[in-house]
Formats: sequence, structure tokens, C-alpha cells
Amino acid sequence: MNDLTSPLWTNLTSRERITGTWRSALPNYQNQPSPCLNACPVNGRIAEWIGQVKKGDTKGAFVTLADNNPFPAIAGRICHHPCETACNRNELDETVGICSLERFVGDAALDQGWGFPAPPAELAQSVAVVGGGPAGLSAAYQLRRYGFRVSLYESKSALGGLMRWGIPAYRLERAVLDGEIARITAMGVDVHLNAEVGDADALAALRREHDAVYLATGASLPKKLPTLDYAAGWVVDSAEFLAAPADQQSARTGDHVLVIGGGSAAMDVARTARRLGRTVTVLTLEPEGSLPAQKVEVDEAAEEAIRFVSGAMLQSAEAGDGAVTLNCIRVAFSKGERPGAFRVDPVAGSEFALSVHTVIPAIGQDADLQRWAGLLEATGPVIAAGKDWQTSTPGIYAGGDVASMARFVTQAVGMGKEAAHAIARALAPDIARAVPAELPEVGYDRINIAYQEPHGRTHQRLTEVAERLTTFDEVQQPLSADEAKSEADRCFSCGSCIYCDNCYFYCPDMAIARLGENGYEVDPDYCKGCGLCVAECPTGSIHMAKDDNA
Amino acid sequence: MNAPANIETRQLLNGNHAVAWGVRLAKPDVTPVYPITPQTPILEKLIEFQSEGKFAAELLTPESEHSAMAACIAASATGARVFTATSSQGLLLMHELLHFAAGARAPIVMFNVNRTPASPWGFWPDQIDSLSQRDTGWVQLYSESPQDSLDTVIQAFRIAEGSMLPVMINHDAFYVSHSVEPVSVPAPGLIDEFLPRVERPMQLDTGAGQSLGAPIGQASWNRTRREMAAAMETVPGLTEAAASGWRAMTGRGGGVLEAYRMTGAEVVVLTMGSMAGTARDAVDRLRDEGIAAGLLKLRLFRPFPADELRAALAGVPCTIVLDRNYSPGMGGVLHQEAKAALYGTVGAPRMHGLLAGVGGVNVDVATIARLVRDYRNADPSPDAVWVE
Amino acid sequence: MNEVKKIDYADDGQFCSGHVACAGCAEALAMRVILNSVGQNAVGVVSPSCSAVILGGHPLSSARIPFLHGTLESAAASASGIKRALRAQGKDDTTVLCFAGDGGTYDIGLQALSSAAERNEDILYVCFDNEGYMNTGGQKSSSTPSGAVTGSTPLGKATQKKNLIEILAAHRIPYIATVSPSHLNDMAAKMDKAKAIRGTKVIIVLIPCLPGWGVADHAAVSTARLAVESGVFPLLEIEDGLRTRMHPEHKIRPIDAYLAQQKRYRHLSEADRAALQAEVDANWARLSAQAAL
Repeated sequence: MNDLTSPLWTNLTSRERITGTWRSALPNYQNQPSPCLNACPVNGRIAEWIGQVKKGDTKGAFVTLADNNPFPAIAGRICHHPCETACNRNELDETVGICSLERFVGDAALDQGWGFPAPPAELAQSVAVVGGGPAGLSAAYQLRRYGFRVSLYESKSALGGLMRWGIPAYRLERAVLDGEIARITAMGVDVHLNAEVGDADALAALRREHDAVYLATGASLPKKLPTLDYAAGWVVDSAEFLAAPADQQSARTGDHVLVIGGGSAAMDVARTARRLGRTVTVLTLEPEGSLPAQKVEVDEAAEEAIRFVSGAMLQSAEAGDGAVTLNCIRVAFSKGERPGAFRVDPVAGSEFALSVHTVIPAIGQDADLQRWAGLLEATGPVIAAGKDWQTSTPGIYAGGDVASMARFVTQAVGMGKEAAHAIARALAPDIARAVPAELPEVGYDRINIAYQEPHGRTHQRLTEVAERLTTFDEVQQPLSADEAKSEADRCFSCGSCIYCDNCYFYCPDMAIARLGENGYEVDPDYCKGCGLCVAECPTGSIHMAKDDNA
Repeated sequence: MNAPANIETRQLLNGNHAVAWGVRLAKPDVTPVYPITPQTPILEKLIEFQSEGKFAAELLTPESEHSAMAACIAASATGARVFTATSSQGLLLMHELLHFAAGARAPIVMFNVNRTPASPWGFWPDQIDSLSQRDTGWVQLYSESPQDSLDTVIQAFRIAEGSMLPVMINHDAFYVSHSVEPVSVPAPGLIDEFLPRVERPMQLDTGAGQSLGAPIGQASWNRTRREMAAAMETVPGLTEAAASGWRAMTGRGGGVLEAYRMTGAEVVVLTMGSMAGTARDAVDRLRDEGIAAGLLKLRLFRPFPADELRAALAGVPCTIVLDRNYSPGMGGVLHQEAKAALYGTVGAPRMHGLLAGVGGVNVDVATIARLVRDYRNADPSPDAVWVE
Repeated sequence: MNEVKKIDYADDGQFCSGHVACAGCAEALAMRVILNSVGQNAVGVVSPSCSAVILGGHPLSSARIPFLHGTLESAAASASGIKRALRAQGKDDTTVLCFAGDGGTYDIGLQALSSAAERNEDILYVCFDNEGYMNTGGQKSSSTPSGAVTGSTPLGKATQKKNLIEILAAHRIPYIATVSPSHLNDMAAKMDKAKAIRGTKVIIVLIPCLPGWGVADHAAVSTARLAVESGVFPLLEIEDGLRTRMHPEHKIRPIDAYLAQQKRYRHLSEADRAALQAEVDANWARLSAQAAL
């Protein structure tokens, strides 16, 4: 019999042939930042924790969130959410409701009493934190996580800063605020209330007692309108107004209140006054639709029958018999180059008058820098600080409103976090978190939307207007668990692998192995470098990297 | 020479029906066939056997001979015993797959009824259809009579399965395919014993998963032809063994070459197919006239039995080749092949190549006797000669 | 729900790495799904084509099941022969699989396929339709669509793609389906379904050929997806040649993006594109009406 085994019949599989030599690039699995993450002031790993919500792992989501932000329940309520503005899903249908999901996780943590773990080891060094607002609390939290001893000095009778004294309860329930602060202090922060660090000497003394100091005393000085007599009884300071108990708020305001300003504080004042039963008008320089306050706040204010007079400014005020006449003029408003800068040009002949009983200017606050003169240098209206938030005095770091014009709560939380890590890098470089690598952002073009169905966002329900105006209860109602799951499923998980196996299934060369929780592995013997896995990745968490070794 | 009555029955059969009987006894697993005159009676008879429950093969009736042969090759590659039949145009349509079958070492047995190829159209006995397939790698056998056809088709499976080469048996249109004679049909049990199932070295096997005929490099392709050459070398021996086994069982039949009255022959007629029967009578007539004539019937044409031919013609002064075929530009195919086989051998006979009966023209006993008389002392010509 | 749609079929290693398909080849991708759906109890026939190249290269084979590398025009006849031979040997449960290109199916192999379909041979015939003779460098076949440039239609093909589906449907075979490498679950499900049916099953797989169509290495799947989403290549099933099922929701976009992804359509004028769009729309409307019956 002839030997027919060799030339006619195959006798080995093609795995004998190494086709990986064909390639010039190799897929690289790398979670890269999503636009929401890059936009987030605390750099919270949004795609990751939403992924945990998708899987029903709320606790895991909380742990991920709390790595960068100890206030998910607060941020979920009041964050100005640049993440949502940046969200890639906007291109398909509608942004993912990130804040409402964050609130869902934050509320669950409070409901379940999930606390923060004790630090792995107590460290000898101590850090003083001056100011118990969002920046200070955030720094204290991160420093305690490392194990530093933390002394927190707060001038007022309770912690929270602007979150407590500036944001009304209908936006941020006090139990939530207290709960999230208590979780931080429970980590072993040495809290000193009613303890004002009043001047540069006191600060310098603190610096000597501690290995580092973090200064986050906020912006306590109201900006003033030159056309307004602040001594008059019908002028009320907005910060004082918001901080006051309801009975005092009532006592200070007449029937018709004019609020001057278009920011969040102005909205808070206006809506608080509405809840006191006042008629409220808001006067803003910015035209309608361009107010610096969050759109949702403006919308809700409008629903609450607050009247907006936008694109106008006060020229003079005349107190009359029981009422005040405010002479106003329309203006052309244009934004300046720097954030917060602007220019207004009065429109001749557009004068008009308003008649009200109380005027509450809410046009912003400035930091009090005089206190630190001689110790800390300033840059314009804020304390000068480097990239690591260190001031001109080594070992003194600063953040929040005292060191930045970024005035949103979450921005302050982010600054506190960054400073804490910078302090850790200075005091305990071995354990400090490294400065994160700069990675390319995963844009919409890297999301394969073939794997997504268009599906509108699930919005939080709002309390009926009539009901809102009778209480200071929260307006925005939380998502149910089902709604949260559904909303979380809308997240593209930009830049974060969701283990969908597309890369595995779409490889024509069977060159990708599934490693369960450890993701995937590319077999360099067979990968031809076509990039199909990258093209079909729904999350943009793979990219092709040049491969010279093939 | 008659077979014992208990193992064979005598039936009046035409050549095609005799083939069908042989196939029935050989029990192929798959039989793809396409009708063509004058092969069709083979197909019809097999279908008749099947309808009677006497023939269990999977019968496939595809749309062309090409597909029939494709199915044969594929079926054979699974290890099945496969038979098909065709003629002329059908065989020519298969041409691509004839190469393929041999290359794939598919031991298919095919019966071809030799018929003139078009154009012009004709339905007459002529062997150029099969002879023009001589380079495809098929073993070719030529049958003289219905009995020969029955006997040979069964032996062909032994040769095919022994060499892993496809085998084509040919008989002439009408002269054999449609002429009726008493044919001895062996009992089925006899054939089962003669034709045991052979274990294939390789087949399409779901367990092993090895593929057949995948693209291959030059050296390996070259090797496939060397292996075919080696297989071809075994065929004369296999043919002789099958023939002697058959003779032992039935008392009938020749092997590679069949010699008739070769003792002391001074002129030998060399031919194939039905012409051999006529030539046999002519030889008798010439012997009666005192001319020492003999006959060599070539049964195995491919591989060409050069050694056997040289031995048979050793010392014979003159050979007359009768070709019922014409290769334009060269002459009779058998003449060419015989010349090539004998070229350079010591004492090779003078050889005349006569184109007799091309296109089915009748060549009777008297004609052959006349041709022998005319050419036995003539000077040899290297070229073929058209004769009447 | 609004979760990411997951691909889900079991890869049992029936198709092996190390094959020589072009980097990013959708045919290899489809073969992976098909061979794993068919499983180990199968014998295949493959016509000379890209699939033969991908499967073979002696002494290596990328398939775990045996394949006969047959001739170009006789895939269906060869498959018939194998099926009958296996049946004769008591192995009728073995699936007989046929791989052929569009040249081997629409053109030179149509006669054998028609005959096998007419006999309703129990074979599973897969046509990898890359709309031309791509393995020989890219010449037109009768599957090449109107307008497409190939080596033998340098100005764009003047006539329409042969409607093989209707030809096959006229044979009243039990199952015809179209599948796309962009819809792997659909492909696996149709393979499973076809495997369970006795008789002739024909699956036509759209294969955007990277060099032949002028598509980027990573874009075969997205091109196939655009073909489905523009209605150029409707995913459908036809049972017994009469009952048509399709997905009305698949056609969600005009053909522009599909054309734009391929160099073979680069020369088309606005009017050419409009004519192609009209052709696609008319075909879709006719199929929809057929499916509504």
C-alpha cells in the first residue's frame, strides 16, 4: 500500500503557523479616561462606578466613588455636573443622568450605614486643616485615609461650610449633609469647632505644630454693588440670609424681594424667599439662557413663579414710603476671556424701574486675604498656590475658594483631594498616590454605538410646585433601584472595559483569550494586528499600539 | 472452460446489462450516473435492480457527468466503493475531474462506452474518447465482449482498491454495448469473497479531521506524481492477480494481454476491444491458409504494459496494430504506444499501424485477413496508414 | 433593555489560529462562527476560493473537521456525494458542509447547486459572498452589484447583482438564509437552525473583502453592518422557498455611509448613487411585501 499520509492529506492544524509576524501594531487593553472623568472636578472614575451600578454592586460603586469623593450623596444633589455636559451619550440621544446615579449610590451608603475603613496604619505625621467646608473636609478625609493625624479647625459651630450655610435644605437635606460629614469625622479627625484661625501668626503657629497645614477658609467677604447702600434696612446680605434660621429670614424680608445676581447663590436666595411666601424678582446682568447658575436651578425657580429680569443692571435705588424704587437699564452683556470676567454696555433709552420691599444682592463672595498678609502671597483675589497647591510658605497648602476662583462645591472637594495627595507625596512619598498619567480621552468616535439602542434618560421626579413652596423639603426625588439600573445601563462605559467579549468574538484569528475577571490577553503568535477588536469595542477601552517586536 | 453451474447462471445479456450485473455483484455504496447514449442501459438496469431491492447503492442522478464524477470523487474520499458509467461527450465533460480523481487517489470504477465524440455528431464505436484521457492517471482496461465486460468490471474494483487509482473499463458502442450473448453471471457470494472490503489508508473522517487535496508546494505536488507512478507500477501485477483469481473461480479471462495462437506466429495482430473478437476469427482463417498469424489483445492500456508486450512479441518478425481511433496529426494511439514500448528493444518486430474502423466503420474478418496478407511482408512505415 | 447587546455562542476551537486569511478578514470571522456552530460531527467540501486558502495550506488545516478541497464548479455535487456515501455507511447524522465563494455559487457552481437543490440533498451550503472573484485579484462575478469597480469592470458594473436568493427560493428548498459578520448571534442562530433541518440549506454570508472592496483592515464588520442597516444586504430567512422572514427594523439609513466606506464605489456620481439607492429601496419594498404575505 502506498503511503498516502503526507502530500494529499493535512496532518496538523494551522496553529503550527505563526501569523503574528504579519502585524505592525498590537491591541492594547487600557482603560482610558472618559470625557466625564476628565470633566469631573474630583476625577471620579465615573464609568467604573456606573458599571458597578449596572451589575447591582451598589456598595462597590460607593467604594469606587469614595476613592475620590467622600460626598456622593451631596454631589449627587448639588454638583454642577460638568460630567453630564461632557457625556458622549449626548451624541446619540441624551446625556446619562450621572448625578442622579451618584445620589442613588450616596443615599444607599447612608441608608445602609456604610462607613469608611480605618487607615492601613497610623502615621506619625500630623496635618492641620483650617476650614471645615468641602475642600477642608475632602482634604481631611484623604489625609486620614493615609493614616495621617488630622486636626480640623472650623470657625463656625458646625462643619460643612458653604454646604451648610449657603445651600438650602430643599436642595440638600441636612440629614444627608450631617451623615456624610459624620462618616469623615468618624475616621478619627480631631475636630475643633468655633476655632477661628484668625491671622497669619496663628497660621504660622499651626504650621510649626504640624507637619503640614491645609488652608481652606473659603470666601467670606461679599462683593458689593457700588449703587447700593448696604447700610439700608431693605438691603440684606445674601450669605447672612441663607445662613440664618427661617424665622430670621422672614423677619428680614418684605413682601416683594429683589434678588440681584444670576448664580447659584442668587437662585438659592430667591427660592428660599419664595418658600417664605415672598414675591420674588431676580435681576441679572446676563441675558436669559446664559445665567451662571445651573439650568435646572433656573428652571425650577421659574416653575416656582420667580420672575426673571435678565440682561439688565441696577443704576440707582430710591427708598420710598415702604417700598424701594430701583432704577434699572438694559445692558448688552459679553463674556470676557478669563472665567468670570465680563463686560456690560448699557443700552441707551432702555431705562425702567422696579418697585420692591427688600433687595438681596447675591453677586459673589471674595476671599479674605488680608488675614494672611505677610505669610502667604496672593495672586489677584486668591492665595497663590502651585500645581501641588502649596503656598509661598512651604508646608502650607491652600485650596477651595481661598485659593481658586472655581467656586462649585465639587471643585472644592477636588482641590482638597489633590492637596491631600500632594501633602502625602511630601510627607510619605512611599505610600502617596502618584500623579495620574495623562492618557488620551475616549471620544465619541471611539464608541461603537452599534451595540447601543437609543434610549432616553430617566429623569428624577420633581415635587409639585405647590407642594414645594410650603416646605423646605427636597425638590428632586431619588431614582428607584430599577430606574437607577436602567439609567446606569445607558452609560457607554467610555474607556472602561465591560467584559462584553466583543474583542474575543470578533477576532478572526482567535488571538484573544478570555481571562475572566482579569480581562483579556492577546496572543502575539497569532494576532495580525487588524484592529477589528478595537473597532468593535463598544467602550473604546482597547487601542492599537505600535508593535516593533512582531 | 465453462464455469461450474452451481456458482454461475447463464443469461442472455447485452454488454451494458452485463456491466450492470457486474456492478450489482460488486455492491458499490454510491453510484452517481448521468444518462448518455449508448451508456444509458447500464443506468437503467441499475435503477431496475434498485427498484427490485437487489441493488442497495445510493443512486445519484445529478445534472451532468461533471457533477456525477465530482460526487464519485467525494463519495470515494469517505471510504465508499463508488461506480459510475458514461460515454464520449460525458467522459470528455469529466476531463477536469478525471485528473482530479486520480490525483485524489480515489479508487472509483467507471465504465465508459466508447463512442465517437462530436463534432460532427455520431454514435459509433471509436475509442478516441477514452484514449484521449490516457494522461489523466486512470487505469484503462478494454473489454471485447459482454462477458468480458462483466468479468472486468468486477476485477476492476480489485485493481482500483489495490492501487488506490481510479479504473476505467471501456467497451465499444453497440458492437459490445448492445449486442446480446449468453453471459455467465457469478453467484453473489462468490463476488463478496473475490472483492472483500479493503481498509483505506486514509479517508474523510470526522474523528481525525484531516483534509484532502489542500493547496500544496511544488515539491509535494511532484511527490504526489511519483507516488502515482509507483502505484501505476503495481497495476499490471494487480491486474494479473485479479485475472488469475477470476480464472480460478470461473475458468475465464485473460490478464494484461491476452495471447491467441501466438505459438510460432510470424505475424501478430495487436488490437483492443471488440476488434479483438473479429481478429481472432481472422487469425483462424489465416492459420487455415497456412499463414502463421497470432493475436495479442491488449486488455490493460494504462498503465501501458510495455514489459509484457516486449515479452510477448520477442522473436515475432511482424506486428500489425489495428487502431479504431485516430489521434489527429499522429495516427492510431495504440500504434504510437506500442512503437514507443518496443523502440530500442533487440529484435523488435516490424510494425504497421493501420487506422481501421475509425468512426465505427465495420471491419470484418475478411478485411482483417486481407490486411494481414497485405502487410505481413511489407516494408514497415513509421506512420499510420488509413485502410479500407 | 438598554444594555450592551452581547455576542453569545460557544467557540469550541473548531477553527484554528494560524490560518492565512488577510488581517481583519470577515470570512475568517464568519468561518469561526459557522464551524463552531456545525461542530465536530461534520465533513466539509470547499471550492477553490478564499475559504480554501484559509482552510488549507498543506500539511496544515485550520478546521478541525475534514474538508475535501474540490473543484470550483462542483461544490454541491461533491457535497451530495459525501452525504450519500456517509448515508450508505450508516453515518447519516453527520452534517455535510459546503464552503464556496460567490464565483463558485452564482457563476460556475450554479448548475451543480441547482441540481443538488432540486434533489433536495441533505447538505448545508455556505456561500461566502464577497461579490467578485477576489481570490484571483478581484474580477467581477454575477454577484458583483451595479456600479462596483472590479478588475474586469473598471468603469463600474453596468448590470445588477444576480438575485440568487430568488433563484434558490424557486427550488423550494427547506431553508435559505442570509447572514452578516456584523450580526454574529444571528449567524450562529441561523446555523443552528439550518443544521437541524433535513434537505438542502443555503446560507449566504456577506463578506466585505478588504482589498477587493477597498475597505480598511479594521472595517469589514462595520461595512457589513452598514450593508444591513442600509438595506443593501437584508438579513432574511426563506423557508420552503415560500415563507420569508426579515427584519423591517434593520433598515435605518441611506446607502451613503455604506458606499463611502468602500473604494469600489468611489467613482460614483450623485446620479449613480441615487440610482443605487432606488434599486436598494425597490428591493427592500419587494422583500417587505413578500415577508408580509
